[in-house]
Amino acid sequence: MKTAARVFALLTILSLVLAACVAPVAAPAAPAEVAAPAEAAPAEAAPAEGAAAAVPAPAGKNGMPVVGLVMKSLANEFFKTMEEGAVAYQQGRGDFTLIPVGMNSETDIDTQISAVENFIVQDVDLICLAPADSVGLVAPAKKAIDAGITVVNFDVKLDDKALTEAGLQDLVFVGPDNEEGAYLAGVALAEALGEGGKVVIIEGNPGADNATMRKNGFVRAAEEFGLEVLESTTAHWETEEANTLMTNLITKYPDMQGVMAANDSMALGVVKAIEAAGLTGQIQVVGFDNIGAVQELIKEGKMLATIDQFGPMLATMCVETGFRMINGEDITGWSKTPVQLVTAETLK
Amino acid sequence: MSTQVTSAPERESSQARRTTYFLLREAGIGIALLLIIVFFSVFAPRFASLANLSNILTQISINTVIAVGMTFVILLGGIDLSVGAVLALCTVVAGLTMTSTAFPEPVAIGLAVLASLAVGSAAGLFNGFVAERWKIHSFIVTLGMLNIARGAALQISGSRTIFSFPAGFNQFGTQTILGVPVIFVIALTLVFLGRFVLVRTVFGRIIYAIGNNEEAVRLSGHTPSFYKIAAFTITGLCVGVAAIMYMLRLNIASPILGVGFELNAIAAVVIGGTSMSGGKGSMIGTFLGACIIGVLNNGLLLLGMGDFARQMVTGFIIIFAVIIDTYRVRLSVQMAD
Repeated sequence: MKTAARVFALLTILSLVLAACVAPVAAPAAPAEVAAPAEAAPAEAAPAEGAAAAVPAPAGKNGMPVVGLVMKSLANEFFKTMEEGAVAYQQGRGDFTLIPVGMNSETDIDTQISAVENFIVQDVDLICLAPADSVGLVAPAKKAIDAGITVVNFDVKLDDKALTEAGLQDLVFVGPDNEEGAYLAGVALAEALGEGGKVVIIEGNPGADNATMRKNGFVRAAEEFGLEVLESTTAHWETEEANTLMTNLITKYPDMQGVMAANDSMALGVVKAIEAAGLTGQIQVVGFDNIGAVQELIKEGKMLATIDQFGPMLATMCVETGFRMINGEDITGWSKTPVQLVTAETLK
Repeated sequence: MSTQVTSAPERESSQARRTTYFLLREAGIGIALLLIIVFFSVFAPRFASLANLSNILTQISINTVIAVGMTFVILLGGIDLSVGAVLALCTVVAGLTMTSTAFPEPVAIGLAVLASLAVGSAAGLFNGFVAERWKIHSFIVTLGMLNIARGAALQISGSRTIFSFPAGFNQFGTQTILGVPVIFVIALTLVFLGRFVLVRTVFGRIIYAIGNNEEAVRLSGHTPSFYKIAAFTITGLCVGVAAIMYMLRLNIASPILGVGFELNAIAAVVIGGTSMSGGKGSMIGTFLGACIIGVLNNGLLLLGMGDFARQMVTGFIIIFAVIIDTYRVRLSVQMAD
């Protein structure tokens, strides 16, 4: 009796744990008979061939082509919407199989490497790779290409030097220009403050590629428009940390006029700190990512602007680019995806 | 605890010893904090101002409340690594309750608070029960809970940030009472409540006793398991309170928040002089530990120190505190002889 209870309890726990492990990875493999509605394809795509989707799916190695989608942390809203965009696209078309894989955290590089290795073993047709580490994922990508798999890099660019060393300097990259996006946000802030405006930059994780690029974009805008950068420091992409940091920075620089935050989660914490200090309207804030909570703040006038990089479209465009390549098109280099400034004007 | 019969002079000298020990333990940390404050007041511009003080109090509040809960399990020689993830789960559940349109606003807020407390306590109860029922070290159980709670928070929320809470709730978070931030008042209340439970109740004394010698407690007719499970539940309850404080302060609920909060809370407890092997420590110490972390974080930035240097200094302080702790333990052993 006692043993039975113990076994039952253990099984319950085990199934909970298993459910937790399996849930985020399980790909809703759509049945092949789902008809592909034309509107599922992105608007800007090439003219449709027949009634099917825009870019025709190539013939897979074993029938229907299999696409492995390697993303960063699905805990991040940005990647979650990207995954949902990709799954919706796949279900709309139904003429390929999609296996999305996310990670547990932004820095969990091992999971990505094993994901690529698993895709090599499964002999998929295409791997779309958003690397968590610009250098660390070059070797697995090379291994996949050597195994005859088409690899397209998206979202965050793999390191140029490491790619050249691996002989992959022409690897296709589909993604936004983070530097350009940050520059646009910086310009919006500069225009609001005028020359000589005093600003601080809240950076993302030190060492992260997109954090560096966004910082560079902010700095470029500040230099071109004569903003004075009081301090540039990190809050590790985190709301609470950004809130604490910003509160202390307001104490340190009572004459601060503007903030450039490298993502919207940190911008949320920054705006709240400004509010708590009773300085709403006196310190302007720009962010990056265009998450829902920030749109609200922009509409209320508590934030100036953010940058939309169309996350849901990114993975989709990566898959299409890969299909074009398998179909024989010669594509190399960087296919830039759009970045757009979001303000109270554009949100109307 | 072990010796019931002592003569009057012995009692007196043990009282004196106890006083010395108390001073060494409590005042030691207090003096360290005071020195740090004096240092920053002199060298860090704008450190010594009421506005900055109020900021620091706000900044340490959440960590203080989690650390109060953490003190209970560390006193037992246990640990709770799941607090950050459970905090996220609590905010998500509370956030969804609060933004639900099924209830009128005040009811939704009330239910959200209750939901947060319930989720936190349930997670703590689970931790304690599993650790006790199968005699698994709490390090492992709470490591599991960390993943369960984080996964659940992401699952329930679809990894999205929840916002748009009622205006009354959002504004309450930045209120002050006689210049003291409301959320700090909540934190301080919990510190004294925790201290009361530990020092003035039988329950608290037994927690210390279990940390010192679990077998002796069992032989004296108490059931250690009950107290241990209760301690984990208290930690969970504190996390539930901290979750509401987080929502008051930042007006969002998110499944990814609270990463690393467990380490900050453990640091506060350890700097505060509570021994990781259990049995020794105090709630006031924990509070002072949280103060030291908050003051360092604030002061070093105002001093103009960079990100990486700040992180290193904080690391050194934690190690230094534990080194001091080993001397304290040695001294108290000497005094007990």
